[in-house]
Amino acid sequence: MIVWLGSEVMFFAGLFAIYFTLRSTSPGLWAQETAHLNVPYALVNTLILVSSSFTCQAGVFAAERLQSRRTGKLMQFWKWGLVEWFYLTFSLGAVFVTGQVFEYANLVSEHIGFDSNAYGSSFYLTTGFHALHVTCGLIAFLLVLGRVFAVKNFTHREATTAIVVSYYWHFVDVVWIGLFLVIYVLK
Amino acid sequence: MRANTNLFWILGGFFLLADAVYTIWSLFFSEFDRVEWVGTVAMALSGIFAFFLAFYLGRTYAAQGGEGPSDLPDANIDDGDPEMGTFSPWSWWPLIIAFGLALMFLGVAVGVWITFIGVPVVAVSLIGWYYEYYRGNFAR
Repeated sequence: MIVWLGSEVMFFAGLFAIYFTLRSTSPGLWAQETAHLNVPYALVNTLILVSSSFTCQAGVFAAERLQSRRTGKLMQFWKWGLVEWFYLTFSLGAVFVTGQVFEYANLVSEHIGFDSNAYGSSFYLTTGFHALHVTCGLIAFLLVLGRVFAVKNFTHREATTAIVVSYYWHFVDVVWIGLFLVIYVLK
Repeated sequence: MRANTNLFWILGGFFLLADAVYTIWSLFFSEFDRVEWVGTVAMALSGIFAFFLAFYLGRTYAAQGGEGPSDLPDANIDDGDPEMGTFSPWSWWPLIIAFGLALMFLGVAVGVWITFIGVPVVAVSLIGWYYEYYRGNFAR
């Protein structure tokens, strides 16, 4: 898992390299196109994704207690199990991807397309590959939940699955923090 | 674990020593006559990273409450062989998922309609692989 995440790091390093190379060759284009970005919107979206990492980790702590389901009422989140925390994480991740879709729609309406110029290509390549990774993570959450529902007794094997998916989710989250700093803060 | 910890302390010290030598060399004994920042910063960070690892391994060693197999001279190899997870002895599903993925990427290159044939193959084989030991005889 860790080795594969290492290869994923190299993949995103390549995307960052594309972005920085194109940025250094056409600074004027960057100054013009980054003005279209809605930074507060992206910041809110970033906070949603970062918070999903915390809820994911709360689910992992529940899995390490071998607690798959909540012991209290629905609103007593301190008694939640893996299932409740992963449902919440899934929802937050889905909100993030939805937010990305609306942001893309907005940028396209302002004539920044995938094939319009170097900025559009690098923007959609980096954030698009990240959004694909988030989507794969969402599917992985559903598969983990399916395993939890498939067994009568929650064992270490199911806990391991949840922990491995959480590694992936944290990785995707950290990559987004890097992308956010580079694309929206540094511009 | 003890040996690993010491190795990383030594490695970190070596990086910092090399860093000092490199900085002095670029200042006084090279054609630069100034600090060469790329190498200086890279070696300083390498040293700090090694110290991180040494510190982490040291804390882990202190927290495990005793000697691990890697520190015992009379331990056997399989004493330090942990439970790595559950692995299928054999399975047809990886073959099918590879076939589906091949169809998907072939479609990207040749014609998108092939991708749409590949997607359900991947979906079925992914779920088949993932739940192989959760159904039939293995349901629990």
